[in-house]
Amino acid sequence: MASLLRRLLFLFRRDRFDRDLQDELRFHEEMKAQSLAGGMSGADARAAARRRLGNPLRLREQSREPWTFPAVETFAQDVRHALRLLRRDPAFAFTALATLALGIGLNTAIFSVAYGVLWRPLPYAHPDRLVMLASTQRTERGVRTFWTWAPVTYDAMRARVTALDDLAAYSSNDAPLTGRGEPLQLHALDVSPNFFATLGVTPARGRAFLAGGATPDDDRSAIVSDRLWRTSLNADPAIVGQSVTIDGLPRTVVGVLPPDFSFRPVVPRLGALAEPDIFLLNRWPGDTGRSAFLFLLGRMKAGVTQERASAEVTALVNEPSIAPTSALAPEGTLAPNVRTLARAIGLQEYGTESVRALLLILLGAVSFVLLIACVNVANLQVARLTARRGELSVRMALGAGSRRIVRQLLTEAVVLSLLGASLGVLLAWLTIGAALPLVPAGVLPRPGGIVVDGRVMAFCLGLSLLASVLVGLVPALRISGSAVGEGRALHAGDARTTGDRQGERLRALLVAAQIAMTLVLLIGAGLLMHSFVRLTSVSPGFESSGRDGVLQIVKVQLPPHLYAEPDRIHAFARGVLERIQSLPGVTSASLINSVPFGLMFIQTDFDVEGQPKPTLFAGTPKIDAGYFATMGIPLLAGRDFTAGDTGTAPNVAIVSERVARECFPGGAGEALGRRVRLSDPGDWLTVVGVVADIRQRGLDQQVQPMIYVPFQQDRGGFIRFVSFVARTSTPASVAEGIRAEIRRAAPDLPIESTRTMEEAVSTSVAQPRFRMLLLALFAIAATLIATCGIYGLMAYAVAQRRREIGVRMALGAQRRDVLRLVLARALRVVAAGVLLGLGGAFGMTRVLQRFLFGVTPTDPIAFTLVTLALIAIGLTAAWMPARRATRIDPVAALRAE
Amino acid sequence: MKAAKHKNELLPGTLEMLVLKTLSIQPMHGYGIAQHLQVISADVLTIEEGSLYPALQRMLVKRWVSAEWKISANNRRARFYTLTSAGRKQLGVEESRFSQMFGAIMRVMKTT
Repeated sequence: MASLLRRLLFLFRRDRFDRDLQDELRFHEEMKAQSLAGGMSGADARAAARRRLGNPLRLREQSREPWTFPAVETFAQDVRHALRLLRRDPAFAFTALATLALGIGLNTAIFSVAYGVLWRPLPYAHPDRLVMLASTQRTERGVRTFWTWAPVTYDAMRARVTALDDLAAYSSNDAPLTGRGEPLQLHALDVSPNFFATLGVTPARGRAFLAGGATPDDDRSAIVSDRLWRTSLNADPAIVGQSVTIDGLPRTVVGVLPPDFSFRPVVPRLGALAEPDIFLLNRWPGDTGRSAFLFLLGRMKAGVTQERASAEVTALVNEPSIAPTSALAPEGTLAPNVRTLARAIGLQEYGTESVRALLLILLGAVSFVLLIACVNVANLQVARLTARRGELSVRMALGAGSRRIVRQLLTEAVVLSLLGASLGVLLAWLTIGAALPLVPAGVLPRPGGIVVDGRVMAFCLGLSLLASVLVGLVPALRISGSAVGEGRALHAGDARTTGDRQGERLRALLVAAQIAMTLVLLIGAGLLMHSFVRLTSVSPGFESSGRDGVLQIVKVQLPPHLYAEPDRIHAFARGVLERIQSLPGVTSASLINSVPFGLMFIQTDFDVEGQPKPTLFAGTPKIDAGYFATMGIPLLAGRDFTAGDTGTAPNVAIVSERVARECFPGGAGEALGRRVRLSDPGDWLTVVGVVADIRQRGLDQQVQPMIYVPFQQDRGGFIRFVSFVARTSTPASVAEGIRAEIRRAAPDLPIESTRTMEEAVSTSVAQPRFRMLLLALFAIAATLIATCGIYGLMAYAVAQRRREIGVRMALGAQRRDVLRLVLARALRVVAAGVLLGLGGAFGMTRVLQRFLFGVTPTDPIAFTLVTLALIAIGLTAAWMPARRATRIDPVAALRAE
Repeated sequence: MKAAKHKNELLPGTLEMLVLKTLSIQPMHGYGIAQHLQVISADVLTIEEGSLYPALQRMLVKRWVSAEWKISANNRRARFYTLTSAGRKQLGVEESRFSQMFGAIMRVMKTT
């Protein structure tokens, strides 16, 4: 403490101290000179005395040292020096800062996304104890994972399980809100009464659902999100206790959630669904069916591991009394008599496998970009070091130790990278703000967690310190080497020392490393691009746009309370469709309940009359007449449905090519007149036509076997989903026309979505496109930086070898020879980098495997094209310095020495 | 530039002891201390004169010596250093440590 005070006080008497010391030393020097004066002249004696005393500056610093904070002082000095140097060389400052800011900024941005999505603790009490339950079955068809459970299993499991404090269930079901302005389709979550207790969340207003006890809630209560409360409910402070109409039924609002509450239901393989607007108390009481539609969310008891919870749940689900096998899996996919394994998966990890892989790959990619950036700045530093040799030699001659010089260089690097980091954080913040809205829906399960906060800043700071070590160490190591030793560089004509050649070799090595890393990134991007081209050139089997225009789709969902009778649904659909068909601009129109590239797809097993049961599952869309013509799906045999295929007419079906091929070998015509039976509802249907295959669920999916059924002949629950499809060349006005027709027929019906088929197809490839664009962006950034690296290396080399080139030209070398000389050097560096990069790429592109469609991780096309492109870019970057070399005037170059 | 090598370099840490010993005779200025050391040791111990001053500052910080500006014998202004009581105590500590070490070294050297 006393020493701190002393050191602080010293700051005020430093000038006095320096003066005193100077006087003292002068006195010493004069006395010494007098005593030596016997044998030499006065001036010689003084010089000798001064030599004996040593370097006065160094003496002053050493004398001050006990009084001050030497480390702080020299650091401050070095920082000032570094800033001065940066100001003096704006071109260098700009290049280095821009490169570092780009590298650090991209890393910070991706890290904040990865942290927010993968690692930031979920906003619930003890989030590490929350688990989702899933089950897997190993059958001869492979391992199948089921994420949903039947209500009977849930009830039995909840009663018996001991490893969990609580087990909640939810299921995502959108529902219309009416009676409050424009009818609105809400994202609704059906939940068990203990849902919020399991999460450990209390509503901001009102209360959570009551479970059990004396007066459990009836199933007419609802809890709304803060967003819904603020928008559609006008932030009514007295909302608790009021009634809202959901799905045509009154629901009592018992609570409003806090503004920061967030729960995005994640559906594995589909992504994250939207945040629910409203939570409805379970709508499945009394459901004893075999259909599994509930997601189970459990809270483990304190101290229970996921392994123990999994083991217990596994034991439970294999007890027939708890989970009759028929209730385990979604309809039609169960395999009886097979042991089921249950798993408890942390809520945080649940459903993030694919995004986790993506984010880790992106983190890897941006760290490559940062490394490349650091190499560039290190290279610039090495080059500058050679230019600064004079300065450094003078400093060493004046008494700076080599450790002191190394420290100064490291400080310069720290200053540089901290400045770069501040710009980088700014860049990251701007990027995240601008880019998050562009991320396709469903990619990121928890976008709410993505913010640039203290933790992200700490990461960025750590990164910049790492960068400064990388940037500062290389030149610093060179100092301890020979280049600037012992004042040698004070000699003129220092451009040809061996030290310099070493420097050049080091720089060439660094540039080769840069090229290697760039190549790995470029090949990664190239693979995704080639894969994307493959994916988008797959034909979906229908014409999303054609000669007669595009396909416009408008989707509605008919609520059961208004449309309980199938006849009412049929009447509504037929009535609206007829009006749509006569809208101006509509070439043809029809309807379907499960439109291709939509979320809904129902498949079922089926029988063929007179044959053993096929192992196929078939999609069973309900369509109206004219659907195939409207969609542009070719009819291969037989006839289309007609207006005559009504509920009273004989039951008919149209099968897709794949069903025909597998069940009726011998040609499409073979299928006509045969009979098939869907497991639900179980009537025999006569096949009247065969149509071409389509891809129902996405371009990267297999074609689905399909059995089409007339909409008017189906009386099941799935016909309440109606998508009107119209072929038109004026989609916008037709969409408005269709919406108007729907509103006219059913004023209280919210319109779920309006989009063209092209948009639907494009949305289905949004994720691969996004991945490709991101990686391409990083690869391009890396390429730009590496190009600067090559250019800098060659430009510098040419400047250094002016004299040599001059001599060569004086001895008769042609311009062509000079060009070849320079380009050959560049090619050597590029080739070394490319070889290294190819090796790395072969090893590393495997991580992209799961994101590739139709190409292998060692796809020869991507590898070849990208490599050639990079070599071309490298040589182009070297071309300019090479051209400059040919213009060297030998006479001038030689005279300049 | 590296420190010039002297034939008879001081053992590390001995400079301060020698300065303390010198000052125990009488207050002296820096040049005086240097001269004294050189003369008494019959030119064997040539200290690097520059290093004397940082050492004096270190001893000032530790309060082993005190300093004041006075007029020297030849009528010049000079900074005179005086041993404090703490310095005298330190001298005792250093002396005993040194003789211990010296004795030990001699014993090693005498064993054949």
